[in-house]
Amino acid sequence: MIHLGPLDVLVATGLVLLAGGISLALRLGIERRLAWVSLRTVVQLGLLGLVLEKIFALEHPALILGMLLAMTGFAAREAVARSSRRYPWIHLDAWLAIAVAAFVVGGIVTQVVVGARPWYSPRYVIPLVGMILGNSLTGISLCLDRFLEHLDARRGEIELRLAFGATRREALADAMRASVRTGLVPIMNAMAAAGIVSLPGMMTGQIVAGAPPLQAVAYQVVVMFMLAAAGALGAMIAAVLVVLRRTRPDGSLRRDRIGNEGRSRA
Amino acid sequence: MNPWFLCGPLSARLEDGRILYDGVTVRLAEGEFVLLEGPSGTGKTTLLRAIAGLDPAGGAERILAGRPFPGPALPAWRARVTWLAQDAPMLPGPVRENLAFPFRHRVGRERRLDEARARELLATVGLGSLPWDRDARDLSGGERHRLALVRGMLWDPPVLLADEPFTGLDPVRARACRDLLAAWARRPGHAALVVLHDPDLGRGADRRLVLGEGRLHEKGTPA
Repeated sequence: MIHLGPLDVLVATGLVLLAGGISLALRLGIERRLAWVSLRTVVQLGLLGLVLEKIFALEHPALILGMLLAMTGFAAREAVARSSRRYPWIHLDAWLAIAVAAFVVGGIVTQVVVGARPWYSPRYVIPLVGMILGNSLTGISLCLDRFLEHLDARRGEIELRLAFGATRREALADAMRASVRTGLVPIMNAMAAAGIVSLPGMMTGQIVAGAPPLQAVAYQVVVMFMLAAAGALGAMIAAVLVVLRRTRPDGSLRRDRIGNEGRSRA
Repeated sequence: MNPWFLCGPLSARLEDGRILYDGVTVRLAEGEFVLLEGPSGTGKTTLLRAIAGLDPAGGAERILAGRPFPGPALPAWRARVTWLAQDAPMLPGPVRENLAFPFRHRVGRERRLDEARARELLATVGLGSLPWDRDARDLSGGERHRLALVRGMLWDPPVLLADEPFTGLDPVRARACRDLLAAWARRPGHAALVVLHDPDLGRGADRRLVLGEGRLHEKGTPA
């Protein structure tokens, strides 16, 4: 593998400066934001690198589990931040959805498919679980957003079904389907374009690092399937949790749990 | 003697804590066509929603034909005491689907949409030439209200709770729909509770309940 030194990273910085120059020349007005996100990239990844070096050196299971839990916490926060609608406990629900999806699917991939030894081997566990988190947080936030929007905008339809004796499951089936499907759009798009439009990041990384291409492909297929499974599982859990929080067992909607509601009725 | 239909006691408050109505119990006899009246803002819509169990109703008792419907039985209750909402909501999709969807719910699976009866009712309310493949959301307000009324009568539950079902109709059509609903209600095993604003249409009801100042009063049978 070709080693990258500080000088190489400095040359790459020149590329960001080129982008900044274009922004200045065309008055795009994004140079300050570009500088800020570039700095964030360096600092965040630098810190991550330092932490990973330590964790890789110590190889202690408690430390690795702690790191994974912290990562799920950040992912859940980010998922909620991206959703335009909220309700009490949405943070806990997002975290549950992300954590269950990441630990179940991540567990199967690292322990059964990859067969990491020891089981907590950070070289496999952290990047793979990290990829699940990054992808499922997108899916879960889309799913939450879509479901909550459906409950608001299409309440009349839901109550129409309820009025004719629909159970909770029957009344919310449309909302459930639409929101889980929406949550799965990004990963499905990525799978459809893989290898034709884009070389996925992980595969690129492995090839650059010297792995045989077919081996890199095998890993990438595992990763894609893992992300699809985690995305579907996470979105479904998120949708079920919204149903439990925002509706009563008989299917009626808990309007008191919506922040911006309360229109008067004659 | 126990009434054929009973729901209550029901209470509701506005968000500012003001009491809308308190300890109201609605009773209907079999075969009755009953009006629910009252000035705007007294809670008629809220009361119908509470009867249908779409909003929490505290410890209200629900009885129909001698059978109690406790909380977990709300979906079964709603299949029998069906609420027709004020804005006549429609599912996205064709008219046919909007008439047939209740029969796809588990509670309606043993029955089927009676298409001949549907055509007959649609003709009575002046929708005889309505194409069944048209998207129901493209209908006018008056068409939607008539379609919603026909849908309720095709489902044929023991009780219909109709919230201003004749909105957007000219007086002649409105009277025809009123007569249809009244005749539907005045049968053994059926009844209707209807919110109406037009006093003219309310004439000829079997009873008139008035919601006002937090209570439900019975008004003398109109001449």
